[in-house]
Amino acid sequence: MNAALEHALQDWYPVAMVGELAPGECKHSKLLGVDITVLANHAGNATESTPTITVRADGAPVDVQQAFDHWWVCLGNKPRSLFTIEEASEADRRFVPCGVVRVACSPLRAVENFLDIAHFPFVHTGVLGAEPHTEVYKYDVKVDESVDEVIATNIKFYQPQAAKSAEGGIQTEYIYRVPAPMAAVLYKTCPLKPDALDVIALFVQPLDEQTCDVWPWMALYDDTSTQAELIQFQQLIFLQDRSILENQLPKKLPLDPGQEIPTKADYTSVAYRRWLKKRGAYYGALEVHP
Amino acid sequence: MSTQPVSLSRDLTIKQVMRAELGDVDMAVWRSASGVVSAWENRCPHRGMRLSHGFVRGESLACAYHGWHYNCAGACHYIPAHPELAPPKTIKANAYNIAEASGIIWVNATGNVAPIDIPSSTVPVRSIPIACPVESALNGFSKHTHQSLLTQHTQAEIIADTPYVLALTPVGSNSVGVYIAFQHVNDSTTVAHITATDNASMNDVVALSRWANEVRDITEFSAGVSE
Ligand code: FES
Ligand SMILES: [Fe+2]
Repeated sequence: MNAALEHALQDWYPVAMVGELAPGECKHSKLLGVDITVLANHAGNATESTPTITVRADGAPVDVQQAFDHWWVCLGNKPRSLFTIEEASEADRRFVPCGVVRVACSPLRAVENFLDIAHFPFVHTGVLGAEPHTEVYKYDVKVDESVDEVIATNIKFYQPQAAKSAEGGIQTEYIYRVPAPMAAVLYKTCPLKPDALDVIALFVQPLDEQTCDVWPWMALYDDTSTQAELIQFQQLIFLQDRSILENQLPKKLPLDPGQEIPTKADYTSVAYRRWLKKRGAYYGALEVHP
Repeated sequence: MSTQPVSLSRDLTIKQVMRAELGDVDMAVWRSASGVVSAWENRCPHRGMRLSHGFVRGESLACAYHGWHYNCAGACHYIPAHPELAPPKTIKANAYNIAEASGIIWVNATGNVAPIDIPSSTVPVRSIPIACPVESALNGFSKHTHQSLLTQHTQAEIIADTPYVLALTPVGSNSVGVYIAFQHVNDSTTVAHITATDNASMNDVVALSRWANEVRDITEFSAGVSE
């Protein structure tokens, strides 16, 4: 087995939303090139509100856990622990699993795009950005060694409609975290509660090295929008991203410097690529030269 | 690789961007506000976005992803994320040699461009993709001449072979002459770029366009059968 796959097998990936399937219902999917089936079990006792699931890869049952309104699966025999998101246990937040978007791109390109703010005025025109407010001001990026995560802080960007709940443009502050090669969490100014941060995460299910299912998830302070409106807002944003992601060449993410040209605005992406390379997370990446 | 036609000049209007493929070469072809045509590798040096999704602003092509601007020489001269920064000279789109001649845009992705001179090709008809090798397309257009416009004595002559250009000349009448330049996309895709002599009326252009559809259908059918 190749090292890139072996490495990727030890992480957890989302395969379904909690409550997505009715008891007894089954769906077919793929994870890291392996065919999987996801079956919602019949409730063991009447107090369980949503059914648990059983996932089989090539016919054999695999480890499953529930977190952030999704079911997560690990196919490896030495699973790393799943990352945490503290805000997931704050009872006053709205939790919004946004469904799934299939994208014909490398799972790593999907994460990198989520970490990028410079594209807002061009790809999410009039919503997350607008000309002439295109400048990306200096921000800070580091690898937090204590948790081995990439962290970008002090990001500020002008946004015409930062969220469903925003009325008019605001200067938005962002913090990004990359807690696993195929997941990213963003904390941004909450339009309705300026002292708090909304949380938006991107959980990526790699079907193979060039196809992924993306599961956006939010933990917000918003008591005015309906769940459907919030989901629609996020899906619209992600469909705009898809038109970019399916047109990047090469399909796999280059980790060696020199193949693409970053500027200061790309420091998060540079740090992400270095971090992937250092930990050997090459699934979805171009061949790496030592 | 050799010089290949990629579009009729008419079909790439001012401030328009299109995608063209030659073998493994995926390219963006665009026309600036003043009319300058460029053909580049279809990959933005920044983060690999296809430049054919970009938009033209004056004499620059801007990438759809982060809006980097490239001038007609391929040099990046504006990065919106850093408006004050003069981009390093090393940031350049990979440009191919192009020429516009006889109403056609010609490109060579690997060397000097040598457009085929077709003196009396003046009226653009259309470009039509055909799912077959270039030789089958050439053969199809040679055999299935158009009855109402080209007399039965029409002469089909290959006037160039790299790339292939076919001339259909009616003998002994003042009917319309037709020229077809063949773009070799890959072994199973050809694009026929069709022009006509200046006596072609609007009706002739419409009729030739329909004829091209028929030739495509017949050619694809027989290419499918012989596989
Ligand atoms: S990929 Fe073209 S500007 Fe970023
Ligand atoms: Fe985006």
